[in-house]
Amino acid sequence: MKTSFLNQNQRRSPLLEAQKLNQKSVKKVGVKELAQVLPLTSLIDAFSIIVIYLLIGTQSGGLETPLAKVNLPIATNSATVESQSAILKFEKNKYYLNDELVDARNLASKLSQLKNQSQNKQPIELMIQADQRIQYAQLDPVIKAGALAGIEKLKFAVLPPR
Amino acid sequence: MAKKELNFELNILPILDILSVLICFLLLTAVWVQMGTLDTKQAIGDNTATASSNPPSVWVSIQENGNVQLSLRDLPHQKKSVETQILKKNSQINWDQLVAQLNQFKTQWPDLKTGIIQPSAGTSYQDVIKIMDQLKQLKFEGVGLSPLGT
Repeated sequence: MKTSFLNQNQRRSPLLEAQKLNQKSVKKVGVKELAQVLPLTSLIDAFSIIVIYLLIGTQSGGLETPLAKVNLPIATNSATVESQSAILKFEKNKYYLNDELVDARNLASKLSQLKNQSQNKQPIELMIQADQRIQYAQLDPVIKAGALAGIEKLKFAVLPPR
Repeated sequence: MAKKELNFELNILPILDILSVLICFLLLTAVWVQMGTLDTKQAIGDNTATASSNPPSVWVSIQENGNVQLSLRDLPHQKKSVETQILKKNSQINWDQLVAQLNQFKTQWPDLKTGIIQPSAGTSYQDVIKIMDQLKQLKFEGVGLSPLGT
């Protein structure tokens, strides 16, 4: 039977041919494979190391969080982002609550609405992403709105020093 | 007419080459932004009413001109608060002196674990974060931020 799997080793294999040195002379003496010609094991080792490195590099930072297009302030003693929280961005003098444009006057009501929507009315956390050059007066409405909405935990997004 | 051989062995060498080049390219071009957070616990509602059991705390008031007023409140066996002013340096906060003073407070009163920052309207956000960072470094467990006009 021509298609039998038993005959597979008799088929022409470019890979096997590439592994044989001096094919003409070898044919006369006999087929001798040299596994050292193609070090597949070491290549697979290298790839697995890269994959492990990439996995650790992407997961050690905790949760993946969308980042605002601002220069975040720099701090050395920051904690990793472990839990999901509402994100309030301050970009170009505008406030965005979970990517939704919010007027400064409606911040408190929007935050309390968010708190009421949370499962079992558990206390929610608010992550603030703002540019390091802004003045505190621009951030003050967020602090006040957070207090009015009853949000106890505020998280300020920072970057580690380079 | 001879039948064409349908089975062939996949040549994995060029695939491996492409993969390795791709991985190198991705590693070189990737921007690893590892964002962190500085957490604060804000006093809301009833939390402020328990004035009798307030823990010892340091209040860091940043003035518009860069001077910093440090006041220690609710210290054990001390009725009055301890006040210290740190004058600006080159129209900016004198960071060395501020850190040294906070260190001294922490050494003198190890129970001091609460820090409240009172910035002024013109204080830069980076300065606020820097003070919070210093307090965290000095093992202050409760770091709070005071809104304007309080």
